[in-house]
Amino acid sequence: MRRRAAVASVIASAGVLIAGFQIGSAVTAGRTPSTTGTGTTSGGSASNSGTSGGTSSGSTGTTGSSGPAKDGTFTGATEQTPFGPMQVAAVISGGKITDVKVLQKTNQGGRSVQISNQADPMLRSEVLQAQSANVSTIGGATYTSEGYLMSLQAALDQAGFTG
Amino acid sequence: MTRATFETMGTVVSLDGPESPALLDAVRAVFDAADRRFSLYRPDSELRRIADGSLELLDASAELREVYATALGWRGETGGAFTPHRPDGTVDLNGIVKAWAMAEAGRALGDGDWCLNVGGDVLVSGAAGSGAPWVVGIVDPADRAGLLTGLPLVGGRRAAATSGSAERGDHIWTRGREAAEFAQVTVLADDIVTADVLATAIVSGGSATLDDLTARFDIDVLTVARSGELRATPGIRELVTR
Repeated sequence: MRRRAAVASVIASAGVLIAGFQIGSAVTAGRTPSTTGTGTTSGGSASNSGTSGGTSSGSTGTTGSSGPAKDGTFTGATEQTPFGPMQVAAVISGGKITDVKVLQKTNQGGRSVQISNQADPMLRSEVLQAQSANVSTIGGATYTSEGYLMSLQAALDQAGFTG
Repeated sequence: MTRATFETMGTVVSLDGPESPALLDAVRAVFDAADRRFSLYRPDSELRRIADGSLELLDASAELREVYATALGWRGETGGAFTPHRPDGTVDLNGIVKAWAMAEAGRALGDGDWCLNVGGDVLVSGAAGSGAPWVVGIVDPADRAGLLTGLPLVGGRRAAATSGSAERGDHIWTRGREAAEFAQVTVLADDIVTADVLATAIVSGGSATLDDLTARFDIDVLTVARSGELRATPGIRELVTR
């Protein structure tokens, strides 16, 4: 029982660390964290900090029990965090947490998604870093047939340019 | 890879794709049918007859009712920032018909390498001729002969829709505001209806709607304010710095 409690506490602290990581990565994360890809990346990247945090919690737990924590993957309950409900699993090998995975992160409340996918000010020089010479087609606010005649898309079409 | 252009729905379609007259005819048929059914400018269109009161909505075609129901669903999803009704109550499906027809045309085109541009909204499949991703150049609303940036459509993103008032005047109904906060809004999404509807909703609802929708939908957004200020979600940042 005590060991299970220790594991639960480890998982809970890992959850907090992951939540912290979400803030840190929010600005640089490319996609909304609701996608599996980012979720996995977050878990993987968080595992370093998860390990250090987990080791101390884990050894506390081990002191009171007769042996090292059993190997395996331990799934925590869904935790309410300021960033929405989150469920994590800790992979324990040789008595240490070797990985922490985010299993589930719901969008209810959506605050974490909002933080990570918020549109922030950007300089024109920054967006111009893109190689606009390589465009295949032109996107713009709806243009009429008349407007089209003077548009860049029309110029591309007349040039017979295809991507 | 060849490029064909034709006029429909009051705008121009540019299609990059395989040289196939049959495929081009199929695409043209989709847009022409949508125009006949949904144009409020055609006195004989089904939607015009509903606006006139000569046809009951419940007696309308399944296709029209489906598009209207889809539009109503989006009105709910966007908290009313997108709406299929004009202020006088007339059902106006212009905000969704083009994207809906583009999605239909995309299904007709099937898999393969193609790029469909309808009046500045873009739906793609596969890769450009060189095997590289399709790149959408985004017009600068302050200088329509210039580009703000080029956005490659990668990672499941197949659609780029841009809404604004740079060319047509305030064709998007804003809610109680004199002028829209954003001159132009570009939304990248996995499907064209989501991209187009949400771009329209953000122009209509301003930054509160922008924050709400970027939090709830899997989209990348680039906005240009009337002041010229740009705002971009992390996904856009990643695309322009790759």
